[in-house]
Amino acid sequence: MIEMLLIFLAPIIGGFVYGFERIVRARMQNRQGPPLLQPFYDMLKLIDKQAFIVNPYHSILGIMHFFTLWVVVAFIILGQNLLYVIFLHLLSTIFLILAGFSVKSIYSHIGSNRELLAMIAYEPILIMLAVAFFMINGSFDISAIRENPSSIFPLILLFLAFLMVIPIKLKKSPFDATEAHQEIVGGVEVEFSGVFFEFLYMAKWLEYFFVYSLLVLFAGNNLIFAIVLALFTFLVVNLVDNATARIKMNHLIKIVVTIGLTLGMLNLIGLAYV
Amino acid sequence: MTQILLILAPIFFALIVLGTNVSVRNIFTIVFVTLLAVVSLMNFISFDIPIEISTPHYFHSIFVFLDFLLLMYFFWQGVVKKNSYVSLFALIQIILYAVVLILTPSLMSSDILVDKVSSIMYLVINIIGGIIIIYALKYIESEDFTRFKKNAFIALLFLFLSVMNFIVSTNNIEVFFLLFELTTLFSYILIAYRKDETSLLNALQALWMNQIGGVAILLALIVSITQYETVYFDILIKNIDTAYLLPIVLLVIAAFVKGASIPFDKWLLGAMVAPTPVSAILHSATMVKIAPYLMLKLAPAMSGFVSVTVTLIGTFVFFTASLLALSKDYFKEILGLSTIALLALMMSLAAVGTPEAIEACLVLIVFHAISKALLFFQAGILEKSFHLKYVNDINGLINHSPLVVFFILIGFASLTLPPFGVFIAKFMAIESLSNEIVKNPLYAFALVFIALGSVFLTLLYFKVVTKLFAKDVDAKARHVEISAYYTVPSAILVIFLVLGIYISFDLNLLSGAEIIVPVILIAVVPLLFATLLFKNAHRVKEYNCGEKDEIKLSMYYFHMPKYIQKAIIITAILGMWILVIGVLI
Amino acid sequence: MFSLNKYRKKSPWILHYNAGSCNGCDIEILACLSPKYDLERFGVINTGNPKQSDIFLVTGPVTFRSRERLIELYTQMPEPKVVVAVGSCTCTGGVFRDMYNVEDGIDIYIPVDVYIPGCAASPELIIDGVVQALDILEKKTKEMEIPFKLFKEATTKKGITSRRESALKIGENDEKN
Repeated sequence: MIEMLLIFLAPIIGGFVYGFERIVRARMQNRQGPPLLQPFYDMLKLIDKQAFIVNPYHSILGIMHFFTLWVVVAFIILGQNLLYVIFLHLLSTIFLILAGFSVKSIYSHIGSNRELLAMIAYEPILIMLAVAFFMINGSFDISAIRENPSSIFPLILLFLAFLMVIPIKLKKSPFDATEAHQEIVGGVEVEFSGVFFEFLYMAKWLEYFFVYSLLVLFAGNNLIFAIVLALFTFLVVNLVDNATARIKMNHLIKIVVTIGLTLGMLNLIGLAYV
Repeated sequence: MTQILLILAPIFFALIVLGTNVSVRNIFTIVFVTLLAVVSLMNFISFDIPIEISTPHYFHSIFVFLDFLLLMYFFWQGVVKKNSYVSLFALIQIILYAVVLILTPSLMSSDILVDKVSSIMYLVINIIGGIIIIYALKYIESEDFTRFKKNAFIALLFLFLSVMNFIVSTNNIEVFFLLFELTTLFSYILIAYRKDETSLLNALQALWMNQIGGVAILLALIVSITQYETVYFDILIKNIDTAYLLPIVLLVIAAFVKGASIPFDKWLLGAMVAPTPVSAILHSATMVKIAPYLMLKLAPAMSGFVSVTVTLIGTFVFFTASLLALSKDYFKEILGLSTIALLALMMSLAAVGTPEAIEACLVLIVFHAISKALLFFQAGILEKSFHLKYVNDINGLINHSPLVVFFILIGFASLTLPPFGVFIAKFMAIESLSNEIVKNPLYAFALVFIALGSVFLTLLYFKVVTKLFAKDVDAKARHVEISAYYTVPSAILVIFLVLGIYISFDLNLLSGAEIIVPVILIAVVPLLFATLLFKNAHRVKEYNCGEKDEIKLSMYYFHMPKYIQKAIIITAILGMWILVIGVLI
Repeated sequence: MFSLNKYRKKSPWILHYNAGSCNGCDIEILACLSPKYDLERFGVINTGNPKQSDIFLVTGPVTFRSRERLIELYTQMPEPKVVVAVGSCTCTGGVFRDMYNVEDGIDIYIPVDVYIPGCAASPELIIDGVVQALDILEKKTKEMEIPFKLFKEATTKKGITSRRESALKIGENDEKN
């Protein structure tokens, strides 16, 4: 029952995280920042706007991106197979990329292209993460990972690699070249408007939920540690976001692939020997 | 006895098809293909224990005679076509084969051995191969050949099926060698079918490269006879000594050659110049599938060093071939490189050898055959009906032919996305490798190669798919009639893919929710396409900073410097040498 | 009935367009978004994308080269939308009035809701203007708002309204309007 409730409320929880994050970021810049409910105001406003579409395929694929992401989150909450969840998440990203390519818009194309390239960078790390959890817990099931004690110490290197993935997924500096609001007007999302943009906006909230629910897997069955870990990561990610500038796409790939893959490999080989 | 039927019937069919006119030929072919499909299906259903059939002794004399004839023909072709490699390898093979005949093995077994894997291979060969033949009926009519040559094409495809059926049932390495060379011969003839300069060059290349495999098999035979006193697979595998795996490694190299693994990939890519059904039959149902099949046969004998090295080579090729494919623009070439990648994955999975990995390999063989056949059909349609060869030109195909786009989309989706077979196989591959890492940390590298390779392949497929979708709203639709001979086989393959989802559900490869949810998600999209038009929404122009100028968008490419290509080939060759030398030590 | 209108006020997203301004007003607009004035506390985001914006902040006297872009961006904004003219040039042409290459103010082309005077307009005034624009935004309907010039009526075919060609190029049916 509580799981169903959580699945149903997942976008809303993500929305709160996003709203809270905007405040935290504003305070870090010595500003007051928007109210906590700002994302929901935005959402309600977007419903009220005149709906614009470029072509039907584009809009439908955007909506499918949102729903697939919701299913991914639901699978995490229900404790399904982690590897499968990661691949399903890939499917949702593919819907978004297809949407970006389905319109004849330069910014949309560049955004999709960057999204694809970013996928090269983070997808192997996520897969390695799943494998490492498997090696420790003997199962890919998220429910099994949640029942076992915290595995952050044997997975510390992968944890660091995963910290590099979070800014890519949440579009934070220095790894936010996929969205790059000032250069390519938001990339993939540029052609969405009104209700259709709302789905993308809410998908962003779900992305928050997805990333942080993967993060708390490191804490295993220790709830307090999970909360501490999530808060710590939240602050670190936002601090880095405020303190760094955006790096170029090819640098993003080079950095994440070289450092991330090396960390992941070392961790896997280490796990095999221990 | 159905096995014998499957081997002999296609030869008979080929003879009938040869001398008929178009409509009679078409009807006959469809009937024959249906017969073959039914027989192979019955064989699969009634299969319970491995079947052994011994052949009379005089068969061996025929085989020896045929072998020499074939090798002589290759030698002669090399001389006539002035290709020294071809004649050289043919000469080496003649000498080695003579040596093999002098040596006499003592341990005997039966010549034909049909096990579970063979019966699955029958299904792939006969059903998918059969559908490809039906597709070829229309395709070959649009070529500029004489009537006899058109019929001979269909007949050749039937003969190919016969040889393939034989090769997956044989237990005798000598017979295997003959059939291996026969498939080489068929590929040579079929690639050179258009008789132009490039076709001929590529055919000769395929000929000499495949003969390397022949040499490897003959060497394996010599070693096997001197060391293990046998020419039979089952005895060799049963008596195998883990300290002396040379014959296995040589056979593995033959498999790498047939599977067009890097550095032997040139011949399969060269085969693109042939009529599309040839590419389809080489890539999906037959020929290259010998490689994973041979690996599966040898899997029980591989252990330790050999298993790890083959897995690493295979996954490395999987990764690099998908990387190379990203820099290509020719539709068939992209498909070809992805075939090479997936074949390497199959071989490495077979080399891992755990029951789960072998199951994954079989799933991959079956579903890869279906998806690739489907995609090659579409490549043929694009070429014949739309005169398109390059991915960059297929911009907005969805305007002109939603059906073809649907088929291509399903084809690519079935190679990457859940819940389709190839996805399940990759999923199982990662699962089985994660189990193995604990035993040998080197498998971690294989795992990373698979992870990277599958991401690259996804990138590759969606690079093509996005091009289809790039819809120009203002463009006028161009109606093109597509023959039922093209669409019906494609539709049948799509049905197989859907059936495959049901079967994987039935076999418990994934849980119910894991299969049903993506089916709903993927199926919902086209339905929404058809129904939702968003009538209340206003159509607007794309955002272009307020400029009104026309923009033209092209495909992105990934630049692949020459030195990286060289490095890849050198690494792969090095891997092979490490394999051989490691075993010798 | 539950009305969504009040939420328009709480999340105004801005599109900022420079129609040939001297950059004085642009800098002031950016100053509004900076920590000192912090427009984001009202939920304002500078989207830079007409399709997701509610408020059209225009600076500059509308040079000849910028007219088409102005109309194109305006038609690409979904209703309800408000236009805020920032700075004297934008309101009347300012010091550029009656020059050979400049139109006198944006209200020749598009309906303007709020005029903000000043050369350059100060951040306080801009914030005040945006807040006043929000009151107007709350009362607006979703009916299509059209520019005065360079505009062709949107076509409706099979129930689908197309605005793709509604903003015209100079010279393309220009004189008719």
